[in-house]
This record gives sequence, structure tokens and C-alpha cells, in this order.
Amino acid sequence: MNTPATPAETFFKLVTDWPKTVLLLSLMCIVGLGSFMPQLHKDTSSGAFIADDDPVVVYRDHVRDMFGLEDPIVVAVINDGPQGVFNPDSLKLVDSLTREIGKLANVDPDGVTSLATESNIVGTYDGMDVTDFFEPFPSSQARADEIRAAIDAFPLYQGSLVARDGNATLVVVELLDQDIAQATYDEIMAVVAATAVPEGNQVHVAGEGAIAGYLATYIDRDAKRLNPLAAIIITLVLFVAFRTLVGSVLPNIIVIGTVTAAFGSMAAFGVSFYVITNGLATILIGIAVADSIHIMSQVYEEQAGDPTLSATRQGRSLIAQRALVKMWKPITLTTVTTVAGFAGLYLGAAMPPMKFFGLFAAIGVAAAWFYSILILPAALTLFPLKPSKLFQKGIVTDRYGAGLQRLGGAVLARPGLILAVAAVITMVGIAGTSRVIVQESQIESFQPVEPIYIADKEINRRMDGTYFLDIVIETDEPEALFRPDHLRRIEKLQRYVEEIPAVRGSTSVVDYIKQMHKAVNENQEAYYAIPDDETLIAQLFLLYSASGDPDDFEEEIDTDYSQANVRFNLHVADYQLLTEIVPQVQAYVDNEFNQEDIRAHMSGRVMVNYTWLKTIGDNHVRSLLLSLLFVWIAAAVVFRSMVAGVLSLIPVGMALLLVYAVMGFGGIWLGVGTSMFAAIAIGLGIDFAIHTLERMKELLGARSGSYDERLADLYPSTGRALFFNFAALGLGFVVLTTSEVPPLIKFGTLVAVAVSTAFLASMTILPAIGKLLRPAFLFPQGEIVTSDKRRITTATASVAVVLGVMSYLYVDTARADTALPTGNEIIAQLNARDDGQQVTRVLKMELIDRHGKARVRETLGYRRYYGDEKRTVLFYQSPSNVKGTGFLTYDYPQADTDDDQWLYLPALRKVRRISSSDRGDYFLGTDLTYEDIKKESRVAAEDYAFTTLGSTEVDGHLTYQVEGLPVDAETAQELGYSRVLWNIDPAIWMSRKTEMWDINGNPLKVVRSENIENIQNIWTALRLSAVNHKTGHSTVFTFSEVDYRTPVDDSMFEQRALRRGR
Amino acid sequence: MRIIAATNFFATALLSNLLVPAGNLAWAEGFMDDAELSGLFESELAWGRGDVQKAEFVLTPELGVALNDGLQLTIIARFRGDLTDELEPGVPEQRNRSESSRHLFIGDHVDVELREVFIDFEVGDTFLRLGKQQVVWGQADGLKVLDVLNPQSFREFILDDFDDSRIPLWTANAEIPVGDAMLQLLWIPDKTYDDIPQADALFAFTSPLVVPQAPPGLSLGMPITQSKLQRPNAFFRDSDVAASLSAFVGGWDLSLNYAYHYFDRPVIRREISSQGIAVHADYERTHLLGGTFSNVFDDFTLRGEVGYSSDRYFLTDAIGDSDGVVQSGEFSYVLGLDYQGWRDWFVSGQIFQSVMDDHERGVVRNRVDSTATLLLRGDFMNEAVQAEALLIHSLSQDDGVLQGSVSYEWRSNIRFKLGVDIFYGDAQGLFGQFQKSDRVSISAEVGF
Repeated sequence: MNTPATPAETFFKLVTDWPKTVLLLSLMCIVGLGSFMPQLHKDTSSGAFIADDDPVVVYRDHVRDMFGLEDPIVVAVINDGPQGVFNPDSLKLVDSLTREIGKLANVDPDGVTSLATESNIVGTYDGMDVTDFFEPFPSSQARADEIRAAIDAFPLYQGSLVARDGNATLVVVELLDQDIAQATYDEIMAVVAATAVPEGNQVHVAGEGAIAGYLATYIDRDAKRLNPLAAIIITLVLFVAFRTLVGSVLPNIIVIGTVTAAFGSMAAFGVSFYVITNGLATILIGIAVADSIHIMSQVYEEQAGDPTLSATRQGRSLIAQRALVKMWKPITLTTVTTVAGFAGLYLGAAMPPMKFFGLFAAIGVAAAWFYSILILPAALTLFPLKPSKLFQKGIVTDRYGAGLQRLGGAVLARPGLILAVAAVITMVGIAGTSRVIVQESQIESFQPVEPIYIADKEINRRMDGTYFLDIVIETDEPEALFRPDHLRRIEKLQRYVEEIPAVRGSTSVVDYIKQMHKAVNENQEAYYAIPDDETLIAQLFLLYSASGDPDDFEEEIDTDYSQANVRFNLHVADYQLLTEIVPQVQAYVDNEFNQEDIRAHMSGRVMVNYTWLKTIGDNHVRSLLLSLLFVWIAAAVVFRSMVAGVLSLIPVGMALLLVYAVMGFGGIWLGVGTSMFAAIAIGLGIDFAIHTLERMKELLGARSGSYDERLADLYPSTGRALFFNFAALGLGFVVLTTSEVPPLIKFGTLVAVAVSTAFLASMTILPAIGKLLRPAFLFPQGEIVTSDKRRITTATASVAVVLGVMSYLYVDTARADTALPTGNEIIAQLNARDDGQQVTRVLKMELIDRHGKARVRETLGYRRYYGDEKRTVLFYQSPSNVKGTGFLTYDYPQADTDDDQWLYLPALRKVRRISSSDRGDYFLGTDLTYEDIKKESRVAAEDYAFTTLGSTEVDGHLTYQVEGLPVDAETAQELGYSRVLWNIDPAIWMSRKTEMWDINGNPLKVVRSENIENIQNIWTALRLSAVNHKTGHSTVFTFSEVDYRTPVDDSMFEQRALRRGR
Repeated sequence: MRIIAATNFFATALLSNLLVPAGNLAWAEGFMDDAELSGLFESELAWGRGDVQKAEFVLTPELGVALNDGLQLTIIARFRGDLTDELEPGVPEQRNRSESSRHLFIGDHVDVELREVFIDFEVGDTFLRLGKQQVVWGQADGLKVLDVLNPQSFREFILDDFDDSRIPLWTANAEIPVGDAMLQLLWIPDKTYDDIPQADALFAFTSPLVVPQAPPGLSLGMPITQSKLQRPNAFFRDSDVAASLSAFVGGWDLSLNYAYHYFDRPVIRREISSQGIAVHADYERTHLLGGTFSNVFDDFTLRGEVGYSSDRYFLTDAIGDSDGVVQSGEFSYVLGLDYQGWRDWFVSGQIFQSVMDDHERGVVRNRVDSTATLLLRGDFMNEAVQAEALLIHSLSQDDGVLQGSVSYEWRSNIRFKLGVDIFYGDAQGLFGQFQKSDRVSISAEVGF
């Protein structure tokens, strides 16, 4: 017993010799750091997630400076009555809300936009007049009707300020300071509550400004309620573990120390408290509790071994020394590995909040260790230590200890079974992981009953959308945006982006210009277009300023008319949707703009969200792997064995896998809040592994006998401590699942899953592996023989492989279903595509011979469905030589019924009935057959046998290749094809490119559908080109003025229409 | 004549002088939504036997004006100049035409005609077209059974398109939907009839089938007096009225037609007296009842037209006949079959028969007069080149005409054509009478 004191022994002796000093110093540290905490600044904006120098943020600030655009709060007045909001009561409500909200401190007085503030542009005899909509005030229904009429004539406001069906209108509120948006939201809610809302009207408050601000408070509110509850539960668990006051209270002091250390230093360094920082408190509590439980367990064990010791201070100090000398190593090991894990996070994360999370978690963990090894022994020395009844006989044999002993027995008896079960669970975990998707939609963080959730959904249902995508157009010269060609480019951009289903409307200076142009031309619709003359455009602005305020345009164009902002309204903006939209729009912008003199940049809330969520997705795996790597290195160093590193990763790995599995199967998105769970799982999980391995090593070295015999004490002692560790954390965070706040529920669930898995994995898998594979590091030197070593190496290698596979799968978290649909399925979808109940369109046919000479015919066509029967009529309008020619078809759905066709030739003045059975004949001199024209991008499913060949890219779009072989020789003869190959784009269910082979198998022609646009919700190919390889002749069909909405009269499809020419 | 011509000229000038500023004014006040001017310019050169038959330039402008309230005004005029003036030598009398339907002749070579002027509008479901227009009935090509509402100009016999040779009439045309069918009611107060070429015209009729011959033995020495052609002139009583009911039923295009009209070719009566032969021409009225049908069977199109005229007059040689004309009802029909089974080819055959109720000895034509036609048309180079051959053969007279043409669409609006027309058969026959008028023609057509 008189071996020279180890450094540890010396140290702890020192601590216990000077307990008061140590305690005082520690308390001073705690208080000192804690004093910084009130300075902690909350930053709940999502912009915090991107580095300040990230181009997207920089650009957005620039946009904000130039156009004064922020994330507004939106107040909607809704009235579903017959006049919608166009009645005096609703309009008065809009007016009073506008005025009251404008008075709020954080509201930009010029930044409230509503019907009460906006102006109408009306044409007068000598120009235009800009008058406010509410001038005179709408105190009568007649005035309200006038305002409705004015809005109907002013497309700019439809969908953005007033709902298209007239049942809702918005008051858009720009804030001065985005950081206190939460407070402003509350103020606005108070204003709404104080305003008398007339019957039949509803008021909703939403908008990005509201959501971002409210979210943080929403979470905080509940967290503040539940965290203390968790603390109480943890204390209760501690009491159950130790049944002593000291055992329950002391760990809490360590927790306080840990938390103040982390947050105090955070405040001291001026780092903000972000949304995700809520999770940091969790980890720190967990780790502080863990360290304490282990130490206190050991303390009570020591005390039980020598009960009389605790009577004296000396005795207590001895107990403390012994306990700590035994426990300091595992605690230090866990601290080191945990700190290593968080260091990895700090290095691997790209976003400041996550980096800081890692940094301050490491600081907190270190503080926990620091305080544990100082405060605990010091306090134990000073204060009376009642023995724990549970530990009276050494190892605890209460029901928990007994239960764990039984578990241990079972595990050690059938290690193979344990590993097999673990493998199965791993498979399940991998399956779940593959279903995880990176997705974020802030509004979904709220319960559906929250007013803000309801408001957001209602407003986005009725209006064009409260999520904004800004595209800033930049030119180099002042007044360059007076040029019609630039304006047309902008207009074309608007039309293009508006075709995206999620984009319901857009606002730009072009809309104002068109309105002004219409106004000065006596409000004729034909003039709702960009003028051709630059000087005219300049004059329009001048005219506007004569009666209106030129600042009205400041959100759309800058003061020297060289930069403009186009704002697009989206009614949903979840991340997955943005991953489709943003690249598509970016590609268009790169193609159409970004030349020398005109450029376009995407910006706006939507862009910012997209960028930082993209970073999360890309970064998540990287920081995770880095963490794991650091943990592995630390564990390997600590145990001086690579295998040890690998083994310590097993519980951690399992915890991660199951966390992802729960996310995958449970439909929990990998988004901002959930991206930290992995880090938390690592931090908490590593504890269980290290403690287990360390204890196993100690037992295997100190005891003798078989493996099972030596490990007999593992379960009741370390196992029990781990169990209470698990219980404290698990139950503590299960409390969170009782929250109303969805993010907190997810948080609680996932942490509970992580902790449970780590515990069970440590308790079962590690001993089982130890028994089966006998890694050398666990056993005393010499016990493991070379042959065993080889087996161990193989085992280690296979574990490494499994880990590698798991890592690979983390990278591949969102695997798409790559199986291709069958040919019949694809063709069925193609045929089911909506092509409109009726359509009116202008068709220009160009017949181009092999020398490039073109003959052009212009026609006007109509088509309408009568049930399944399709009637089409085509009138030739030019040139004069063919003018008046008409073609009428009744296309019957039954395959065996021939169509009825009539041709009117003006020279004969007669309608001829013509045979339609030759659908392979070329239509009126074009390279498209009657069948091609008739089918109009559909396919007669009964004519072919279909096979999916694969997928390929056409015009930059993914398409399925489907081959069709005519069902018999007769059909092939009729159609004129022996083989057809379609390239069908599943996004639009149209064939982008169709290739045909003639009946002899030679390539015959290629038909391409191009300029495919979404017009009135129907995908339309505006250009069809057919090239006949045999003759070298080609045909181009260009459709324009396509209108699916205007009803087409029945009489259009009668012979008399042919005779009359229309 | 000159006064009438002058009146016409002034009327045209006045109208055009009014229309143009009216148009401008109307435009300025938003009265007219849309006006469209288009037209065709054709030039044709035809060589007969060693001689230029015609060197013709024709300009056919068409103005379509969409007035507001759904009114559509259409005006089609034709300016024609023929350097050779063989077809209508000098300035014809135009007695067969009502004053409002006459050409305006400028010199011998140029004539101007207001072809069509009508207004389209709808009253409820009824469609109305009022004005000078062509109304075409029937399913036959080239032969007429029911297509008798508008008279025809035989200036070029049947060699030019009916669209050009048909004479538009002032008509009130109402189309009323009745259930799934269409009822058409016509009132034609315009008493204009066929343009028969003068005796010195290239295509003057000489066949005994149409031109009454002096009874043999009586011609020599007898003075022949011909009285002027008289048209019916009671405005209401002498108008033509017609009605048709058409429907698309069970895959069949059917129509039922009735007209009470003056037959467009005059009946030429001769009276032989001691003073000589007095010849006078009158227009006679008849009822016409008939129908058309058409359907498609696979690659074949079947079409047919039947008609019964109650009072037709046929020339007779019988000496005993007092006026050289026999009255009889006539039943005629056309049956046609089109075949489109071969890619890019169109084949059509028709049989036409006319049966007299009361055939007597001496009547110049057979009781049953039969004609057959065969049309062959091919499209090449994506319809840039079209070749056509039409054979009309009279089975009764054993004569006929063969028309062939090849046309090439050089540009979207420019088409060139090379044609040949060959008459064969006995000079007594309807076609054979023009034996010497075979010709080859080239033409160019430019649209604008």
C-alpha cells in the first residue's frame, strides 16, 4: 500500500486537503462566468446561419439598401361575402389597420402598403392621373365597386395586394429592425385584437417577418417551461439512484457550473445565442449529470466498503480521493473524446452557429470535467456524507442492479445472438436513413392550430404568395432600363418564372410601365404592353410624377433607372421545392441575361433560405464524419489501440443510425433544427462506450477467471451507473415530447432515441464483441495470442468496413427511387395529360424544302372535346392563294371508328367529305401525318407494343425512352412506321423528341416538341418541328396566341363554319 | 347602255370615294375593329391552234372588314384585262344581267366587276348573309345538277374554275339551325342569268344541242329576225326562292333541296311564218326538288346528287313543232366515287345522267344523256407540285374534253401552272363543237 503516489493520487489529495479553497475558487469561477450571461444576445434570424461575407448575404444587404426590401409582416383582411373585400366595412377596416399599424415604433411609416396607401393609374384625356384608391374614401358600396373595377383594370395589384377572387386584401408591413420582429408581431396582434372587426371579416397576421421572429419565441416559451421540468425529473432520477440528498443535489451544482461556463464564455466573446443553441444546454446537462453519476456511484461504493470512514472529514477525504482516483480516468477519457467530437464539429461546420455550437459545447464539457474533479471531492470532504442505503453491501443489488445483472448474464451467454440482432437493427437503421430528406419549411415548425400557421396557410391560399424571390436586374448606364428591349427581357423573365407552379405572380417596373401606357391610351387593353419607344417610356415616368409620388416605384427600380428588382410571389417555399426552382431559374437567368450590358442576380428571402439550407445538406455529412474521426482518434489514443477506437464508435454509430432511422421513417426532415441531433448523439453516446470499455478493461485485467466471470461486476456497477445516466437523460428529454412545439417534440424524441440506443449498445454489443473477438487492448498483456490477434484484426477490419458502409450511406441520405416505369405506364401518363377542354390558337406552318426555301401558311385553329370525342377545325388565313381553305375533323375515341373529315376548298365553294382511314398520309403537304396532327402529342396505345428502354437527356431534361413497335403489319402499313422511339419527359408527360423509322426500317423522321411552356396550367409545345430524313424536307409548326380559357362555340365545328371561313 | 354603264361607274366611284374616308373616320372612332385586304393577281397566256387565245391579267382584291357587333363586311372585286379580246370581243350587251350585276367595260379589253359584296351577321342563332354572293349546292364536280342557283359565264366554256365563272347574285341568305340540321332559306331578287358568248366569241356555241338550227330546207332565203333578249322584271314575282335542309346524320352528309327559279339559260323559240323565222329567247321558270348525300367508306368517298326539274324546255327539230321547243320534266343525278387509298394520289370518277320525262321524236338530245368524268390528281414534293388530269366524256355524244395541268408552288404565295385543254369528238357535240379551240396555257398566280 505504500507504492509511490501516482500523479492522480497526489492531485486529489491536494484537492481534498484544501476543500474550502477549491470550492471557493470554483464558485467564484462559476459566478464570474455566470455574470456574463445576461449579456447574451439572442439572434434568431435565419440569416445568422450564413457567414456575413457569404455572397448571398452580401448581395441581399445590397438589395436591401437599394430597394429597401425587408421581410415584411403581412396582415390579411378576408371577406368571403358576395362583394368580397370590396365593401365599405372591409375597406374601412383596412384603412384603420393601416393607420394604427403605421404608428407602431418598429414599423417604417413609409413602409405600410395596402389599398389605403396605394394609387391607381388612370388614363385621362391628356395623359394620366395618379390618384389614391381611397380618394375619396370608400364609405359607400358604389365607391367600393369603383375600387374593385380599378383593381380589375390594374393587373399589378391582382394577387399581390388583392386576391384574384377579390375576397382578401393585404396590409404589408415593413419593419425597421428585423431583430425585434417578434415584439412587433405581438404589437400588431394587439392592434388587431383592439380593432373592431366587422362581421363577415377575418384578420390574419403572417409573413416572413412574423414567422422568423415568432419561431424563436415559440420555441423558447416552451423550452423555458420544460427545461426546468427536465431538471426536476433528472434530480428525481438521481435520488432514485442514490437515495441521498447529497447525491441528488451535488450533480446539479456541476450542471450549473457547466452551463454557466459555456454560456458565460459565449456572452463574454460576444457570440450570439442562436436557435440551435437551445440544444447545447441539453448536452451540457447530460454530460454534467453523467460525470457526476459515475463519480457519486464510485463514492458510495467506496463508502460502503468502509462504512466508518465517512464519519470523519479525513475519512471522507479519503473516500473522495479513492473514488476519484478510480474514476478520473474514465471521466477524463469521456471528456477527451467528447471534446474531440465537438472539435470535429467546430472544424467541419460551415455555418457560424454550428461552429460555435461545437466550440462552446467543448468548453462546457471541459468545464464539467473541471468542476467534477474539483467541486465533487472538495464538497464531499466538507459536508457530511450519509451513506447510501443502496450501496450498503458493496455492489448495489437493488432491482436496477439486479435487472442489469440479469441482462449481463443473458448477453454474455449468447454473444452471437446479440451481434446478430444488432446487425438486423443496423439494417433497419440503414433503411430508415436512406429515407431522410433535407427539407425545411419554417412554417411547419408551428402547430396547425397556432394563429400564425393558420394565417400563413390562408394568406398563401388566397394570394399569390408571401414568400419572395427577388431577381435584381443590373445595367451599367443610367436610364438603361428605359430601353424597350431590356424591358421586354424582363417581361419575358416574368412570364418564364411565373410558369413555375409554385410561383403565382410577380411585380416589376414593367407592370407599372404597361399600366401607364394603357392609361395614356384611354385604358385600351391593347396598350397594356411595353411601348416601342424609349422616349415614350421616359415620358410615362415624367407624367406619373406630375400627379403621383415617384417614390412609389422605389421597390421596383432605382432612382437613376439602371437597376430594377423583379419580385416573384411563391405560396410555398420549402427547401425541396427550392432545390428544383432555384437551379432552373438560375439556368434561365444565365442564358438570357448575364451578357455585357444587362445582368440578373437572384436574391430575396427564398434565395437566402435556399443557400443556407443547401449548406446544411452539403455540410451535414462532412461535419459528422469529421466528428467521428476525431472521436476515433481520441479513443484510440486513450486506449492506445485502433481497435478500441473502432469499438467505441459502435454505440455512437448505432445511436446515429437509429436517430436517422427515426427521422427517415418518421418523416422528420433534416433541416436546421434537426441537423444538430447528430452532434448531440455523438456527444452523449460516446460516454456510454468509453465507460463500458474502460470498466471492461479494468475488470478483465484485475480479476481472474473466465471472461464471463471477470465481467460479472460490469453490469451491476458500471452498468447501473450507466443505466441511471440513461434514465436521467432519457426521461429528462422525454419531457420535451410533451411540448406543443413541434421542433421541441422532435428534439426530445431524437435525444431520447440517441441516449437509449447508446446505452443498450454499450451494454450489449461491446461485451459481446469482447467475448467473441477478444480484442487485445481489453485484456492484460500476453493473454491474447497471435491467432486470436488475426481473428481480432479480421473482426476489426469488418467493423471498419461496416462503419465505412454506414458513412457512405450517410452521404447518400436521399436516395431516389431509380426503377423505371414500364412503357405502358409511361404512355398511359402521356395520354392522361391534360391538354385543355378547348383551345384556340394561331398556327404558322412553315414547309421548308431541302434547299432551305420555305413556304408559309398561317392558320387559325380551334379544338374542343365533346366527352371523349375531339373536334378540330383549321382555317387557312394566308397566303391569299389558300385563304379560306378549311379542314374539319371529328375524332372519335373508339379505335375502330374512322374519323369524319371535311375539306373546304374556296375554289370549289364546296365542302368535300374526305376519307380519313389513311392516317399515315401527310397532312396537307406537311411532314406530319394526319395521325400526328390528330393525336397532337398523344399516342394511340392500341397501335403499339411499348417497352421502356431507359432514360436519357433531351434539351437538358431527363426523359424516359419508350420504344413502340406496331402491333401488326397492317397497322405498320397504315401508320407508315416500323418503329417509333419517344423521349418522354416525366415532368410534363410530353415527348420532347420522337423518332420514326419507315416500314423498311430506315430512319424516316424526327419530330421535336420545343418551346414547351405552361400556359394557363397546361403544358403546351409552342413549336413542333419535323424533319423527314428521306426527302430532306422539314416542317415547323409555330403556335401562338394559345388560349385554353375562352369557350369555343359548337357552331365552329360544323360544315357551315368551313364555308363561312370562320 | 352608256347611261347605265356611266351610272355604274359613278356608283362605283362614289361608293369607293365614300368608303375610303368613311373607313378612315370609322377607324378613328373605333367603329371598325379590323379590316383586311388581300387578293390575287393572275396572269394567263393561252395558245390555241397557232393563235394566242388569251393574254389575260386579272386582279381580284378582297376586302374583309370586321365591323363591331359581330358584323362582317366582305367586298370582292375583279379587274380583268385581256390583250387579245377573243373571249368577249368588243363590249357585250349584258342583257342577261340585271343592272346591278353588270360588268363595267373600259374599252374593249378591260372589264371591272364587283364580284361579291355582302354582310354577314347573326340574329340569335340564325346566320344571315345579305348581298351579292355565290350560293353553291351539290356534291358534283364539274357537272351541275343542283348547282343552279347562280348563273354561269360561258366566256371560257367550262375551262375555268367555277369560282371564277359563276356569277354572284344579290341574295338574302338565311341559315337557321333546326335541331341538328340546318335550314337555309334564299331569296334571290337578282334576275341575272348565264353569260352566253356572242356569236363571234371564241367559245360561241354552235352545237345543235344548244343552238337551235333552222329546220332543213327552210333556211335558205328566209329572213331570220331575232328579238332582243327579255329578262323577267317583276321585282318580287320574278325572284327566285329556294330552301334546303342539310344535316350530318349517322355518318351521312345529307341535304334536301328545293328551288323555284328561272332556269339560267334562255329557251330559244322559233316561229316559222311567211315572213321568215322569228327567233326569240325567254327565260322559263321551274321547280327543282332534289337532294345530296355523301359518306366515306374506308378509302372511298361516295357522293351523289339528284334533282328533278318540273318544267324544262328542250330543243326539237320536229317541223311540226310550233316553237321548236318541247316542255318536259327532267330527272338528273350525279354519282361520284373518290378514292384516296394511294398515298399522295386522288382518283375520282363520276357518272352523270339526265332523263327526260316526255321525250319526243325530233328532240335534239337523247332521252337519257350520260356523261362520265375521271379525275386523277397527284401531289409531289410536299404538295409543292400538283399534277392533275380531268377527262369529261359524253357517253351519249361520244365527245369530250381532256384537261391536264401541272402546277408548282414556287413561294408561299406564288404558283405557276402549265395546262392543256383538248376537245375531241364530233363538232355537233357539246364538247366537240370546240374541237378547234384546243389550247395550251401557262399562268402565274400571286397572292397578296
